[in-house]
Amino acid sequence: MLAAVFRGAGDIDVVELPDPVPGPGEVLLQVKACGICGSDVGAYKTGMYEPGIVIGHEIAAEVLEVGPGVEGWAPGDRATVNGVIPCGRCYFCRHGRPSLCEEVLMPGVNMNGGMATRMKAPAGALHHIPESVDDHAACLIDPLANVLHGIRRSRFKPGDRALVLGGGPIGLLTVQCLKLAGARAVYLSEPSPPRRRAGGSVGADAVFDPLAENLYIRLDELTEGEGVDFVFECAGVPATLKEAPMLVRKGGQVVILGICEEPVESDFMTVVLNEVEILGSYCGPEEYPAAITYLARGQVNPQSVISHVIPLEDLVSKGFEALAAPMPEPLKVVVEMPAR
Amino acid sequence: MRFGSWEYLVEVQRRTNADEKYRELAKDEHDSYTLVLEPEPAKGVERRIVVGFRVDGGEISEIWEGERPTDFTLSGPYGVWVDILVGRLGANAAFVMRKLKIRGNFLKLLKGADSTQRWLEILRTIPTEFEGVYARDNLPGREA
Ligand SMILES: [Zn+2]
Repeated sequence: MLAAVFRGAGDIDVVELPDPVPGPGEVLLQVKACGICGSDVGAYKTGMYEPGIVIGHEIAAEVLEVGPGVEGWAPGDRATVNGVIPCGRCYFCRHGRPSLCEEVLMPGVNMNGGMATRMKAPAGALHHIPESVDDHAACLIDPLANVLHGIRRSRFKPGDRALVLGGGPIGLLTVQCLKLAGARAVYLSEPSPPRRRAGGSVGADAVFDPLAENLYIRLDELTEGEGVDFVFECAGVPATLKEAPMLVRKGGQVVILGICEEPVESDFMTVVLNEVEILGSYCGPEEYPAAITYLARGQVNPQSVISHVIPLEDLVSKGFEALAAPMPEPLKVVVEMPAR
Repeated sequence: MRFGSWEYLVEVQRRTNADEKYRELAKDEHDSYTLVLEPEPAKGVERRIVVGFRVDGGEISEIWEGERPTDFTLSGPYGVWVDILVGRLGANAAFVMRKLKIRGNFLKLLKGADSTQRWLEILRTIPTEFEGVYARDNLPGREA
């Protein structure tokens, strides 16, 4: 098989590897397409993944072969692989928190993932992809599940107002999901002009350029001085993380979906005086079925988020290098696997 | 001159930068500010005034009208700003009592209390006319 192997910071190779063989309870997949996630780009910049691993966890695939004892799956079935494969036995699994599992397997992070022509996965980690979800849209199941997890963990209720920081794929999906969830208004702040336009097209009620506009004044105007109930931090950069607690109204909640590898200074006096809640959210293993349903019903628009489809051979030049730029031009990059 | 007008800002910059005491107190400050004076139509203040400036090592290096992203954004009703300027309300009290909405590093603002005090003293020397009912507080000022 052809596979994209992570070697370290700035070093990803597409190489020939032996095809995996499915063991008991496992399935061999032919991968059709795989998305590049922001965390993959983070690893490309910082080196945080396990060296030697095949990357990729936003997977659209077809079953090629089932191992002994696998039920409910047959060759030809379309499938995606959950980005979190919890152990089911640890404290957190037993207490309903699979995203915190102590023995978690994460395809493309600590086990071989789907940026390859072949992949093997435990059958229990697979989800069927319905006909109405094409291979490109299926690459959004994982990021969409992430977003749904964050909203479900928050105190968000219909009628609330929210500000989304960062108009990358996660930010744009957050805007759409908050609208679906009944937000009174959703605002987006994003420095890049094409991403701001994308924000408008997915239904943001107002879109701000944080490099040119004073967000406090804008929000005061739009909310008659009441402020936003929620800030969803989807950029994962120090500037937005630092600012987030000051942008939410008193008693509001800041939900952090963006991953920032470096520590950030912020004003915790404002957090205390304003009784601001800060909430982290990671992955969304339990939200996969809901994400699939939203895509199948067309309630989330994949075209608004997928900006580039590239072949595997261009993975580094047109994928990672473009996404690692300071103000990246692409949104979601989907990589198509060669048919072999 | 009209409180918050361009002419007023120019005078603020001129008098501030000429003041040795302020320059010394604010010598470590490098921050940009937006001040929002909210209208109070019932009191004859019809329009919102938004101004900004930047302090660099004890000097006001730049002034502007309108919005920009800045390190600090302080907003409040026109009358609260008048109260602070004429000395009826202490600046720190306004911060702590949340008479002003403050966005930015709160501690830095409190630590800069001495330079803020001196700055207000400088501002009080500017002949100043206020809007609406606040005309009763007009400051005669004196030559710099
Ligand atoms: Zn576990």
